[in-house]
Amino acid sequence: MANEQIPEKVSPRLPGGFHLPPFGVNQVLALVIVCIALWAVGVLWLAMQGAGQWVGSWQQDIHIHVYLDSKRADQADLLEQELQDIPQVASLRKISGQEAAVWMQEWLSGGGLQQHELAGRLPITFELSIGDERSEFLFSDIRDTATRFGGTVNEDEVSLAQVHDLLAQADYLAWFASLILAVAMALIISNTLRMTLLSRADEIHLMRLMGAREWFVRTPFILEGMLLGAGAGILAWFLLWPLVLGSSAWLVTMQVELNAWLLLPPLLLGGAVVGAFGALIATSRVSSGETSSV
Amino acid sequence: MSTDHPFIQMQRVMLRYPTGKTALSGVTLDIQQGQFVYLVGESGAGKSSLLKMLYGGVRPSSGILMAQQTDMREASERRIRDLRRRMGIIFQDHKLLFSRTVFENVALPLRVQGWKTERLIPRVRKVLEYVGLGDRLWSYPEALSGGEQQRVAIARAMTANPALIIADEPTGNLDVDTARRVLDYLMDLNRQGTTVIMATHDLHLLESHPGRVVQMHAGSLAGDYNGQ
Repeated sequence: MANEQIPEKVSPRLPGGFHLPPFGVNQVLALVIVCIALWAVGVLWLAMQGAGQWVGSWQQDIHIHVYLDSKRADQADLLEQELQDIPQVASLRKISGQEAAVWMQEWLSGGGLQQHELAGRLPITFELSIGDERSEFLFSDIRDTATRFGGTVNEDEVSLAQVHDLLAQADYLAWFASLILAVAMALIISNTLRMTLLSRADEIHLMRLMGAREWFVRTPFILEGMLLGAGAGILAWFLLWPLVLGSSAWLVTMQVELNAWLLLPPLLLGGAVVGAFGALIATSRVSSGETSSV
Repeated sequence: MSTDHPFIQMQRVMLRYPTGKTALSGVTLDIQQGQFVYLVGESGAGKSSLLKMLYGGVRPSSGILMAQQTDMREASERRIRDLRRRMGIIFQDHKLLFSRTVFENVALPLRVQGWKTERLIPRVRKVLEYVGLGDRLWSYPEALSGGEQQRVAIARAMTANPALIIADEPTGNLDVDTARRVLDYLMDLNRQGTTVIMATHDLHLLESHPGRVVQMHAGSLAGDYNGQ
């Protein structure tokens, strides 16, 4: 068989360099686990996206109401003036007891209330439109000013206006959770590649005995890590779509329209980076035992 | 390679392992290019340690060891890798990759040297034909006999056309006839200019395949006979 031709169907699987190691059950398991973790990260950031849109949809309509007992009506003009002097207060409208009574009657669908009697019991109300609700001391200034004149602030409205602070905290937590998950994913990939490395220790040892350069030995594993991470990222992105499509009808009533396409580059690149990082961890401990000095 | 210097030069080479065991003590030996050298001696005489030093597996603790004009005590890892690419190593246990085909095993040194697949295919086929395994390209090593496995190991060692072949008891597990055939291949490579250094216990082979015999005992040189 001296003249045997290399059969075309046989493709030599030569190790090292840019040739990927064989894809086995360990790799499939790692792919699934990393995919789930990346899917969780994707869901987290979709939720952040939705929350941002939802808050943005009503936050500009928020007004802060300051109440002053009608017995202190003589202080009303002064309070109005001082509230208007707060720089972040864009506009101020004084609501009379009569107007408030009409609104309340409509809100309660009549409720058997006497409008005149009700108007006499309701406080004087100032409706403040806020220019910049993120200003650090705005709500303290409003509260201080109201308190000085014996008035009170609707704290529920203040809490709603300050929801961006909660969003900022949630954003921070989302980054933190993403980081923790990224480290976990890197370790999972690292562990998987470590198993591959151990199962191929003879091959690596032999390549080094033949004078293989370090990049030649490590590149296949780093490529595999990147491929695992990127593959898991794409898979996780696909698995976000049922969630996006399934919730779209409900979310649209809240003026929220999720955009899953925005998550494709971060999941793909993030997965690849995490995979490469895991591979670097795995291969960093593959020392050569054949060049030791004694 | 310059002919002014010995191919391998050892002067008072000492090798002590971290465990404290002294494997080699004061070995002085020159090997010229193109020689066929047998290293003989009892188990633990230092044959394998000496071979290991030649490919940079361990470094001498003291003395001078120049291999192909490389100072093996001071050489960088990069230099050691370069040196290894110019030599072939044959082990008693073959060290074949059982998850890879005969072809892939033999192609490994060429891959390490950056040969493209298209270029290495004819070379690997030629080498396997030389050792009589041209029809076993796609077999896995476990399907081969011990002698055939050793021939694969020889093919792998010679495929990159090295200047030096180091063989650590390559006939240790083989019957007499198979061992002689293995020696035939090594002798043939030697006739083509390859320097061969081979550790062996099979003294009967020295009669049919004469060469320079370096005898070792307890880590020292006990004799040096030129049988050619």
